[in-house]
Amino acid sequence: MSDQIILKADNLYFSYDEDHSHSLNGLSLEIRQGQKIALMGANGSGKSTFFLCCTGILKPQKGRLFFKGEEFRYDKKSLLDLRSKVGIVFQDPDNQLFCASVYQEISFGILNLGVPPEEAKKEVENVIQQLEITPFRHQPAHALSGGQKKQVSIADILVMHPEIILLDEPAAALDPRHIRMVNQMVDQMTEAGITVLIATHDVDYAYGWADEVILFQEGRVLLHGSPLEVFSNRPALDQTNLEPPAVLELFQALARKGILDGSQTPPRNLPELKRAIEECPGP
Amino acid sequence: MIAIDQLCYHSKLRYENPGEKFAFAGITLCICVISRTIEVSSVVLAAAGILTVWKGGVPVSRYLRFLTVPLAFLLLSSLAIFLRVKEAPLDLFALPLGRWYLTASRDSLAYVARLVFTAMGSVSCLYFLSFTTPMPDLLEVLARLHCPALLRELMLLIYRFIFILLRTASAIATSQRCRLGNKDYRTSLKSFGLLGSALMIRAVARSGRLYDAMEARCYDGRIRVLSESRPPRKSVIAWIAVFDTALFFFALWRKFCG
Repeated sequence: MSDQIILKADNLYFSYDEDHSHSLNGLSLEIRQGQKIALMGANGSGKSTFFLCCTGILKPQKGRLFFKGEEFRYDKKSLLDLRSKVGIVFQDPDNQLFCASVYQEISFGILNLGVPPEEAKKEVENVIQQLEITPFRHQPAHALSGGQKKQVSIADILVMHPEIILLDEPAAALDPRHIRMVNQMVDQMTEAGITVLIATHDVDYAYGWADEVILFQEGRVLLHGSPLEVFSNRPALDQTNLEPPAVLELFQALARKGILDGSQTPPRNLPELKRAIEECPGP
Repeated sequence: MIAIDQLCYHSKLRYENPGEKFAFAGITLCICVISRTIEVSSVVLAAAGILTVWKGGVPVSRYLRFLTVPLAFLLLSSLAIFLRVKEAPLDLFALPLGRWYLTASRDSLAYVARLVFTAMGSVSCLYFLSFTTPMPDLLEVLARLHCPALLRELMLLIYRFIFILLRTASAIATSQRCRLGNKDYRTSLKSFGLLGSALMIRAVARSGRLYDAMEARCYDGRIRVLSESRPPRKSVIAWIAVFDTALFFFALWRKFCG
């Protein structure tokens, strides 16, 4: 995995209401290319605002943003260039899907990149197949279920082949099957070399999936580290109203009782924990 | 409206080339309106009805129910044309009303009959189009016909957001009813007003967010999307041409020789 910094924020300030309150309050962070990153924090801690700043939709009042070492510029051409590389999947698909036809919807972004129609057609077909949209591709957007809309809104972005994808609470209001599908899509993105940032409240998922976890609090980064570091830091979790992941808690409880070996690397998901329990010598 | 929308997505003719359907409906409609004869209109009504029901797969009962919608308007307005209040009675019938007569002439009866038939024939053409062709396909035809892009983009957005607005409105209305927002006439009036203002605020907020989302996908002021419709088929075009030419000559004949 390369160590190149793909996205860097340096002391960002952003306020929606002319400096009465700050949604971003001196936020600084660095994202390395190809990483899987979970952004966590209470509602209103600045995750979505940060995402909008990353695509240049919002311009921070103070501070600087860098994409691959190059500072953000806000003229039209630079913005279009930036947005072709930074994709964002919004939390509510109804705010993102504007076409009644699924096919037209997906074609919008890639045509904006100036790709010729013939090639765009192929790309759209590919992504429809890849994300299993075929069964409902001929239905109008208003007849789709929440999960199907989410699939389309991810396809919208994937078809543009961005280098980094920001997903704002992708699992919100989805049924378990669609959460699984979204998680698979995220894994596919990582395999394709795309850097993925997910804003999420699901500690268990973040613990098992992420390479790095960033805790946001009141527009600032409270803690940035590996999932184990972050989720073992009880005071930081308490400050951001998060619970530790169940697997980690259980592992630590078992280790304290001497049932499991506490010096080994803690398991990151349920199957790993089960294996650890099955492999221990027993009474 | 929503019923029509659902019907057209399930129509068996949905995947036919929208240009063909548009041409058939448009040309037939023009002939029907220009000829204004009962015979031509009947042929049009029958042809469009049979195509919609039999080829398109719309249930007959639903189709007939949809046909009665304009019929009510039509009968009311034709009464206004048909009946006269005059001092002298006309030839069809006359009801004395003091010094005046409520009366009608044979000519006006024939005129109203022509009007009703022409209107129903035209409506059946439009129903054919709207029961078989989803809105996005129609927009593609409009693009082909060089309809201004601004207009088409507006139609595209409005069409999508009608449904979101309706869903939001019904969700708010439900939540109002759950809290006894309609317990009497006064309260329901007040709830309705609140619903209106809440919808307005949400619509504005949503339009802002939609714009952000479109910008994030490199929106530059023009909505460009791919078209998905199938190419037109020669046999279908030939059928449309044969039918409409025959209809045209039939209309000419009824108009000048009938």
